[in-house]
Amino acid sequence: MSIRIDGVTKQFGNFRALDNVSLNVPQGSLLALLGPSGSGKTTLLRIIAGLETADSGNVFYDEQDVTSRSARDRNVGFVFQHYALFRHMNVFENVAFGLRVRKTPKAEVNRRVEELIGLVRLSGMERRLPSQLSGGQRQRVALARALAIRPQVLLLDEPFGALDAKVRQELRQWLRRLHDEIGMTTVFVTHDQEEAFEVADEVVVMNKGRIEQLGSPREVFEHPANPFVMDFLGHVNVFSGRVQNGKAHWGGVEVAYPDYPHGESRDAAVYVRPHELDIERLEVEGSIRIEVKRVNPAGAVAKVYGVSVDFGSDVHVELTADRYAELDLREGEVVYVAPRRVRVFLPEYSI
Amino acid sequence: MQPSKQLKPAAHGFRAAARRDPAWVRWLLTSLAVAVVGVLIVIPVTHVFYQALKPGWATYWNNLTADADTRHAIMLTLIVAPSAVVANVLFGVVAAWAIARFRFPGRTLLVSLIDLPFAVSPVVAGLMLLLIFGMQGVLGPWLREHNIQIVFALPGLILATMFVTMPFVVRELLPVMEAIGDEEEVAAVSLGANAWQMFWRVTLPNIKWGLLYGVILCNARAMGEFGAVYVVSGRIERQTYTMPLRVEKLFQDYDNPASFAVASVLTFLALVTLLVKVVLERKTQGELAEVAALRQPGEQV
Repeated sequence: MSIRIDGVTKQFGNFRALDNVSLNVPQGSLLALLGPSGSGKTTLLRIIAGLETADSGNVFYDEQDVTSRSARDRNVGFVFQHYALFRHMNVFENVAFGLRVRKTPKAEVNRRVEELIGLVRLSGMERRLPSQLSGGQRQRVALARALAIRPQVLLLDEPFGALDAKVRQELRQWLRRLHDEIGMTTVFVTHDQEEAFEVADEVVVMNKGRIEQLGSPREVFEHPANPFVMDFLGHVNVFSGRVQNGKAHWGGVEVAYPDYPHGESRDAAVYVRPHELDIERLEVEGSIRIEVKRVNPAGAVAKVYGVSVDFGSDVHVELTADRYAELDLREGEVVYVAPRRVRVFLPEYSI
Repeated sequence: MQPSKQLKPAAHGFRAAARRDPAWVRWLLTSLAVAVVGVLIVIPVTHVFYQALKPGWATYWNNLTADADTRHAIMLTLIVAPSAVVANVLFGVVAAWAIARFRFPGRTLLVSLIDLPFAVSPVVAGLMLLLIFGMQGVLGPWLREHNIQIVFALPGLILATMFVTMPFVVRELLPVMEAIGDEEEVAAVSLGANAWQMFWRVTLPNIKWGLLYGVILCNARAMGEFGAVYVVSGRIERQTYTMPLRVEKLFQDYDNPASFAVASVLTFLALVTLLVKVVLERKTQGELAEVAALRQPGEQV
């Protein structure tokens, strides 16, 4: 089933949670709503599910207007952030709940519940209570419970937020595989860009109740539409520069910026990702000087924190472990930093 | 002594400091507390049983069962108290639900008003009912026209008891409902449950110990209520005498053994209530702790 959201606005008191949001979720896609807290992503998910009502705008399932339909009648599978498992029911009864309230015949309930418990790999744990399960197991019960009612859409609110890093990693991949197997239209909310990129086909970046950008993980990462998206998706160095005659300048660096062909010079913000900076001992063209303040070689990349000698701004560089070993940087040393790639944003787009 | 002692958390240090108070201070405070509890609670309560049983078990039993007036009083209490409890359970669940789940104008006022019966003297409560439902009361003429008797009759007794015991169930349920939150209820609805299914399958099992606790307290108070019931009863023998009223009547008539016999039944009931209360308190605490534990892993800010 496809989902279409048309001009949805939602206000909580003085706070505008959603501001005229429109979105299409094609049948069978796996979409992530990504944004900082307060960006409206959870509100949007709850409006899709019918757990919250929009002040204005409409929600369509397969071109059918369900705006005024209650959550109970929408037949969506919803996985809550803290799972909201029924504490006094065991795993079996939790999964069976949606079928029992629909007065499904007993044999059918048993068959379906066993099948789902197998699917989420919890066979043998049917009689356990939620309090006797680990976080990852609770999460899978919540998922099985949501799938039991054969929903046409699966909605997940911060599905991996409350889990530790290792379990989170496993569950992400598992959710991706599950989606590929059953092909159900799935929307999940997350504030973790890595999670969104790893699991989703499409990412919707939200901020202050609006959609900032929509696209595949690669698109939004490689071609961020504005400084917010650039800033939100990973670390970034921001330098102040100028644009003039189709070129942007920053320190000794000059790059082409065809979007601004005018002769009048203007302020612009120059964004460079830490992994798109190179460190050289000798001066190269288009580089700036930094003094190395601190290095952190732990992990897959070595992180170098420095301060620009000429502007005094902080510069954050990520080097591959090999390059780092080759350079053998010392704290206090002055080196040259050259960007392989920069993105320029004019201030009217700034946040 | 050991160096590790200094690393112990603050609570330990605090208790250690308390232990350093001079022995005589500790003794004085402890004996004072024991003496007060002894004089005001233990001695009177044991004395009730002593007085009741002094003439022997046979007389005791006779005092309770032989007198038709006493039998009627016991019966009446067994009707009035459960009726008030049932009414207050219905009201309590609805009110606690509304207060815990919704934000509406007048919500704070409602919370305060629920406590009013704790603050108002039961005698005043009885008088208020008289002024509304009595012959000279606001609704008096209308009630007489339709031949409905409220004061000086069973409905009046139940109403008076209800008023006095109203806060118990709500007061117990509110914190439980607020702590549990609405997550599970919302989940039930999203899985297709209607309001009725949600209440019976999710809400009620979650609040059952708190509810039972409220019922026990409410029942104990309902059975023992004197002041409000006294005013609306009109003191008609074998019609409006509940157990506490009967105790007082027998005492006024200098029938001490019989008076204490009935009183001992009420006292016994109080002791049972106390016991059940302790057990249920643990259950409710356990319930709340479980809620906290289930939310605990990585609660997000």
